[in-house]
Amino acid sequence: MAHQWGMVIDLDRCTGCEACVVACHAENNIATVSPEEAARGRTMHWIHVERHWEGEYPNVRARFRPVLCQQCGAAPCEPVCPTYASYHTAEGLNAQVYNRCIGTRYCANACPYTVRVFNWFSPEWDKPLHLQLNPDVSVREGGVMEKCTFCSQRITAAEIHAQAENRELRDGDVTPACVQSCPAGAMVFGDLSDPTSQVSRLARLARGSKLLEELGTLPAITYLERE
Amino acid sequence: MRRRDFLKIAAVGGAAVTIDGCGDHATQLIHFIPEETLIPGLAVWRPGVCNQCSAGCGLQVKVMQGDAEVVRNGQSGLIKMGLAKKLEGNPQHPVNHGKLCARGQAGLQVTYNPDRIQQPLKRTGERGAGQFARIGWDEAIENLVTHLSPLASEHPPQSLAFLTRPLMGQRRTLVERFLSGFNGAQMVSFEPFDDSVLREANRLSFGHSQLPTFDLARSNYVVCFGADFLGTWNSPVAHNVGYGAMRQGRPGNRGKFVQVECRMSQTGANADEWIPAQLGTEGHLALAFAHVIVNEHLVKAESAGTAGSRIDGWSKGLPDYSPDAVARKTGVAAEIITRLAREMVTAGSGVAIVGGAPLAQTNGLFTALAVNALNELLGGVGRPGGVCFSPGLPLDESKRRPANAAEPRLISVRTFAEQVLSAREPDTIKVLLVNGANPVFAAPTGWRVREALDKVPFIVSFGNFLDETSNLADLILPDHSYLESWMDDVPESGTVDAVLSIAPPAMLSLHETRALPDVLLDVSRHLGGEASKALPWKSYEEMLQATFTPLRHSVGSIAADTDEEFWGKLKQQGGWWSSNRVGPPKSSPPVASFAPVKSEDPTWDGAATEYPFQFLPYVSQQFLDGTHANLSWLQELPEVLSTAIWSSWVEINPQTAARLAIGQGDLVEVSSQHGRVRAPAVLSPGIAPDVLAMPAGQGHEEYGRYATGRGANPVHVLAPQMATATGSLAWASTRVKVARVGSGDLILFSGGPTEFRAEKLSR
Repeated sequence: MAHQWGMVIDLDRCTGCEACVVACHAENNIATVSPEEAARGRTMHWIHVERHWEGEYPNVRARFRPVLCQQCGAAPCEPVCPTYASYHTAEGLNAQVYNRCIGTRYCANACPYTVRVFNWFSPEWDKPLHLQLNPDVSVREGGVMEKCTFCSQRITAAEIHAQAENRELRDGDVTPACVQSCPAGAMVFGDLSDPTSQVSRLARLARGSKLLEELGTLPAITYLERE
Repeated sequence: MRRRDFLKIAAVGGAAVTIDGCGDHATQLIHFIPEETLIPGLAVWRPGVCNQCSAGCGLQVKVMQGDAEVVRNGQSGLIKMGLAKKLEGNPQHPVNHGKLCARGQAGLQVTYNPDRIQQPLKRTGERGAGQFARIGWDEAIENLVTHLSPLASEHPPQSLAFLTRPLMGQRRTLVERFLSGFNGAQMVSFEPFDDSVLREANRLSFGHSQLPTFDLARSNYVVCFGADFLGTWNSPVAHNVGYGAMRQGRPGNRGKFVQVECRMSQTGANADEWIPAQLGTEGHLALAFAHVIVNEHLVKAESAGTAGSRIDGWSKGLPDYSPDAVARKTGVAAEIITRLAREMVTAGSGVAIVGGAPLAQTNGLFTALAVNALNELLGGVGRPGGVCFSPGLPLDESKRRPANAAEPRLISVRTFAEQVLSAREPDTIKVLLVNGANPVFAAPTGWRVREALDKVPFIVSFGNFLDETSNLADLILPDHSYLESWMDDVPESGTVDAVLSIAPPAMLSLHETRALPDVLLDVSRHLGGEASKALPWKSYEEMLQATFTPLRHSVGSIAADTDEEFWGKLKQQGGWWSSNRVGPPKSSPPVASFAPVKSEDPTWDGAATEYPFQFLPYVSQQFLDGTHANLSWLQELPEVLSTAIWSSWVEINPQTAARLAIGQGDLVEVSSQHGRVRAPAVLSPGIAPDVLAMPAGQGHEEYGRYATGRGANPVHVLAPQMATATGSLAWASTRVKVARVGSGDLILFSGGPTEFRAEKLSR
């Protein structure tokens, strides 16, 4: 049976430190866009941390929620793509084929989580910053939509590694960059089709809920609410 | 040019130049030959030590083969070399347990920064004009030796100073030994938001002059006074690891967390109860908790031992700190004080934390001693779930310094500037060496650092970048980045184990830079005499090996039969740590002749009538004190509470803003008796109505393309007021006024659903 990759994010552990955000930039060759473009809302974050204020001073609270592609089971981004650049993989990922994408941005329009980002320009790195690029991940060009892949390069690498050792993938073999860096251990990744995996066990907790689940998107990410 | 041609020229060039130390020809040639051990496309993981703050986290560096344009001996060319591609935490490391913070993740951009200084520079224009000529290392070293040799031989006192940010590990020992060759050479340490008040308080209360380590994972109750311990303070990754376990690591037992501060920090946002108290009265609040605990006979006052005895009136039950009296002072209701005090005791294994703004007041020592006493009363010192102090390495410390060598005088930048400005020729500083410290940017204008530096005849910088301070240098000898250097550190806190972090260079140097320790060794050899006797090693690597190999005889993470085997494993594993957990802190001889502290109020600079707001600069989540403002990943990282990117801003309570007709994003001017600064306003519900807050780190005049001319520097507003006990800057003791002056250029993160969109600027 194919793996069904999923994630649990424990909001009671998350402290809003944003290590995940920079880890994602470093792992996935995400460009920075300059202050001018950022002011136009064109930053390229695949993951961001939402901050929600509640109440007024002095009875005020802030809540954090890291939001990345929810890898929906019924993804609104997929059926709208005229070129089949957005498609659903057998392992439950909302994949994006960059060289099919013609930049209609219908998918970003359809996504209720606003986690798809568009390359308004081809990215540039002031030399020698290009040396930081991760050879395991392709660099996207201008006119192309991009998004979180659950670090599919790491999934592939772990599968190859397991194959070379002539065994099945084990729970914990795959760790996306955000999960690996998370200092408070708020993020857990794994196979939801394996009921014994850590991610499956956590996803069944009573604190669990999906983001905007009333839309029927069937996200693969479960948030555990802050107590 | 083809690579083959390049290699030929490089080899010839290498032969034509004679450089001591790391410059022998064989080594130089190797730099140009592809590393045989790397297979294209396959990553190797090498250990590292993070240098993005002083926590000393262990790294794993992903290294892959790549093509890099490099310059060697004046020739540029392309070579294949191992390149760092990603940084992760070292899973075995007792401080960070495989984790890393946002700033640590961004560390690659230090090495690959386009604005790095690529080879030695000599000033050609006026000082500060930023005109430099490239020179070779021979000339650079010779230049430095020429300036230093009269100081070493003629021994005029105090003519050499070494201005540095706090030095890690053996770098400190090496620099101290280097300075011991000069009569009365001074070490000038500069850290903008330093913790010297807390270290002093910990010395008085517990006999340990160091930052504390918290066992958060086993705490049931955490009460924190002002420290951003999950964001920027002390050892944030270690704290986050423990915090996650405290919340959800023990089924059925979720620790409670209370934060006391007047401006909600990233840390405070996670609290179960967020208690805004008047800035500078946190010590009173801590003693009010103690008052309730003692007077309700929950815990005996005597159990606070030495820490309690530091507080005047402790044994009498703290009569001056009744909840009612303290409620009037702090603004925290008496019922809340009483309830929280009872909770802390009944929860068991509670811990109190203090740091940041409460200690940056004139009464900082009082506050720190008060919280220390509360901690001891809660029974948390040296116990599970409490606070302890990381042990040093089991090494003979007496060998740190050569026999008879005096410790170099450690002075503050303020004292240094005063000395230089008041000195008469010829008893003044002749040469100033600068390593990684940027006081021209980060010290208050009132300290007159810039003026003082103008009077120093010869300034040498070892910086990687041109910043406000290194721009004044006459000679720049650029250091390697920390991924290109031998790195070592003994973390001051963040672990209960004895820990050494150590790692060889993860990659070869990209530019014609040289590691500071090796440059100093080289210079001392040229100088000869006392200077070279104190530094008998050929290289920093040799010094590290000689220093740390004796750890083989202590029980720890490495078992080895020979010194060579031990050293090999040490290099591979990125460190050594004691496998035995330490017990409670050793009882240290009590510091006598210290009168118990009496109730002390903070002294504010500026009259409340003219300057109605308390000004709170804070350490930036992205840039800390400004050191990381030149990293584009961090400039484009939204600050988590304001969501601002590429900006600096002033946080104002929405009601205050409405009263002053200030809207979100409006440009406001904040002014004190000492200076003014302009930045856009961010209306924040998490700040007291009489406080204005501003992140540090932006407003650079000279710090590369990503930082220069961006935002504003809150330091310009600060009064040069000191914490009375230690002489460090009381950076949260200035009063200011504020006015709208126009429309601003605030950039807020615009991704994400609903709420952020509603916040987008209307103008």
